[in-house]
Amino acid sequence: MATAVKKSEMTAEEIWTVQPGERRSVGVIHIVILALLIGIGFVVGAFGSISFPLGFGVNFFWTGIAVQQVGAIWFGGWGVLAGAIFPFFSNAIAGTPFYVSLAYVPANAVQAFLPAWAFRKFKADPRLKSGRDYLILFIAMVVSSAFGALWSPLVVLRGFGLLTTESVPLFIWGWFGGNVIAGIVFNFILLKALSAVVIRTPAFVKRWWS
Amino acid sequence: MNKTLLGYVPKESPIYEVHPFVKLFFLLVVSLFPLFVAAPEWNFGLLVFLLLLMFLCRIDMRTLRIYVPVAISMGSIILLSYTVLGGRHAEFQVVANVFGFPIYWERLRDALVVYFRILPMIATMVFFLSTSRERDVIVAMRSIKMPFVVTYVFAMALRSAGMVLEDFHIVRQAEQARGFDTTGKSLAYKIRKYVMYMIPLFALSLRRAEEFTNALVARGYSFTGKAAKIKRADYVLTHYSYKIHDYILILLITAAFGVLLYLSLGLGFFELDKSQFIQWLHQILS
Amino acid sequence: MEPIIQIVNYSWKYPDSENPALNGVNLQIMPGEFVGIIGPNGAGKTTLALSMNGLIPGQYHGIKQGEVFVLGKEVEEYPKGELQMHVGMVFSDPEAQFTAMTVEDELVFGLENLGLSRNDIKERLEWVVQLTDLQRLLNKPPYEISGGQKQRVALAAVLAMKPQVMVLDEPTSMLDPLSRKRIFQVLRQLRETQQHTIIMIEHSLENLTPLTDRMILLSEGNVVLHADTRSFFQDPTLVERGVYPSEVIQYFHQIKKRGWYEDEIPITLDEAIEVQEKLLASLKVFNDRKGL
Repeated sequence: MATAVKKSEMTAEEIWTVQPGERRSVGVIHIVILALLIGIGFVVGAFGSISFPLGFGVNFFWTGIAVQQVGAIWFGGWGVLAGAIFPFFSNAIAGTPFYVSLAYVPANAVQAFLPAWAFRKFKADPRLKSGRDYLILFIAMVVSSAFGALWSPLVVLRGFGLLTTESVPLFIWGWFGGNVIAGIVFNFILLKALSAVVIRTPAFVKRWWS
Repeated sequence: MNKTLLGYVPKESPIYEVHPFVKLFFLLVVSLFPLFVAAPEWNFGLLVFLLLLMFLCRIDMRTLRIYVPVAISMGSIILLSYTVLGGRHAEFQVVANVFGFPIYWERLRDALVVYFRILPMIATMVFFLSTSRERDVIVAMRSIKMPFVVTYVFAMALRSAGMVLEDFHIVRQAEQARGFDTTGKSLAYKIRKYVMYMIPLFALSLRRAEEFTNALVARGYSFTGKAAKIKRADYVLTHYSYKIHDYILILLITAAFGVLLYLSLGLGFFELDKSQFIQWLHQILS
Repeated sequence: MEPIIQIVNYSWKYPDSENPALNGVNLQIMPGEFVGIIGPNGAGKTTLALSMNGLIPGQYHGIKQGEVFVLGKEVEEYPKGELQMHVGMVFSDPEAQFTAMTVEDELVFGLENLGLSRNDIKERLEWVVQLTDLQRLLNKPPYEISGGQKQRVALAAVLAMKPQVMVLDEPTSMLDPLSRKRIFQVLRQLRETQQHTIIMIEHSLENLTPLTDRMILLSEGNVVLHADTRSFFQDPTLVERGVYPSEVIQYFHQIKKRGWYEDEIPITLDEAIEVQEKLLASLKVFNDRKGL
């Protein structure tokens, strides 16, 4: 296991860099994290889907975005996997048809992946220590939600014939706004409150899988 | 009724005699039926069939009430999306004017088609959730030889969802004991409260990850290495065996799908121009 | 006879702590022994328990010095998943040990990890269910059973794997007195009928003392007292060291301190009653002689 490095003094660069002599490997904890994130997302996402529905799993205020994006920032590929999978279940509970939920998976995967990628690529501090960190998070949230908003109403709902061309913009803005606003409310607070603890745990993922 | 994480299931039901794989197969195949049927009366018939099935399986129909608002809001959204927000089309036939918005026959028809497609798809999912205990879903997954790690992650996810719900109730009760209550409060207040629940729930779940991991490792489970390659006995499957009626049901579902495909794609039997209901409605509105 | 667990100059320091959790610990545990480990909070008991079944250093960051041998092999030399076949562990929080959706699935999980056949699993399941009285709970989901029942299930799940060593880390700390008693009843049965080596961390000395062969007192990462159970409780400085033995033992230490009693301190209630009867009998004889 890793030798002691005082994480409280770590810079953002150090947080994301595997130190010389540090051994990291995929373990049972990552499978557990994957399951736990799916479980939390299932509950939190279902709450959002039931409380603020627009239709077909699109919500005005989707609380599940926090689990998707914060989970992926902390736990890399495991968070991305969880972020892609749990909405399928939370949408199912909220009454979204099976194949529609399945078709949303790419959108949810990208929404989880982009912030995780941005933080690792640009070495942003998950503890949100500077304005740069906030900006990277915000831009990642906006771009990923934009992709999701374009994929889901355009490709999925229009593809299934569930919407007319003219009504697609409403759903695009609904998906986009529902994710970005909920993300602004939850993501910053969660990262600020818990990142310092999470980065010290063996579950924290520096690369993509360990 | 028994409460599971997926919903309420009856204590006793003839559906429990059916192998869980058959229920999963039913969900996957029957969910596809409406996609090949445009005529609303046929999809409505499928919906009625599913409701009848739920009744025969002793599902408490009152628990279906939670899906009524979903059905209504979805119907309203579809109607709005296709009519008021459907744009202006000179080539379509206007059947009404609502607050200056023309309501076209073609859009109304399309909205009905979509709505009656969605309803049985939702009903199929509801039927599955209302007759499947958590173990049934896991057995169904193992029956189709899904890798153990996938089914176990699913089982753990269900377990952790249950724990998150328990934690949420405990935190909420503690807050209420201190005089906090969101009843009657503004949306902004509720959202702020919700944020305050999320942090301890996340923190508790992260602590549990460590404890769960220790418990799994202590029982000899490993995700990598030689231990991960051990052939598992799948003991849970010993409680479930395929009976003759399971094979019959699988055959029936497959045959029904085959016939549907033939009638729909081969003969165009379920197209709108053959729909009695659409023709009748068009006559009335014209 | 070779020790089943041998700990040699072992120290463990967690990354964010100033002092090591365990400091130069030396211990030998022989096969078939029932060893009790006690000490105040933060003494390093759980760290010691986790070190015996490879969870430390396997699942934790930290700095390790010294060695821990289980069945003659250092814990880090065991391939993943193998050590835990020999050393089973029960944790203090019953909630955190359930990862399956029914009690039966929980009991069977470890057996499937061993690669046992369905027949072998059935046999072991029947044995352990009978031993721990879990027949009525097999199909129940974990969220429907009490804390005491969960802990019995956790114990059964480890027992079913028939490990040579069982480490129990405060398994009764979150239980009510009745549930605690049931757990100790199972352990008593195990002690009498099986050949396990059992290492138990416990605060309830009343229940622990009658079962153990040896006791170890840990404090601030060091072993401060280590003896067979009877000798352990003869030490008059136990209370000063933060050990609160059963009131029976405390009583006899007090009367010994006052010079009213000179013999060995009885360590169980039954022994104490026997001693007390003898004392009263000799007092009666004395009084009769004196005409009192």
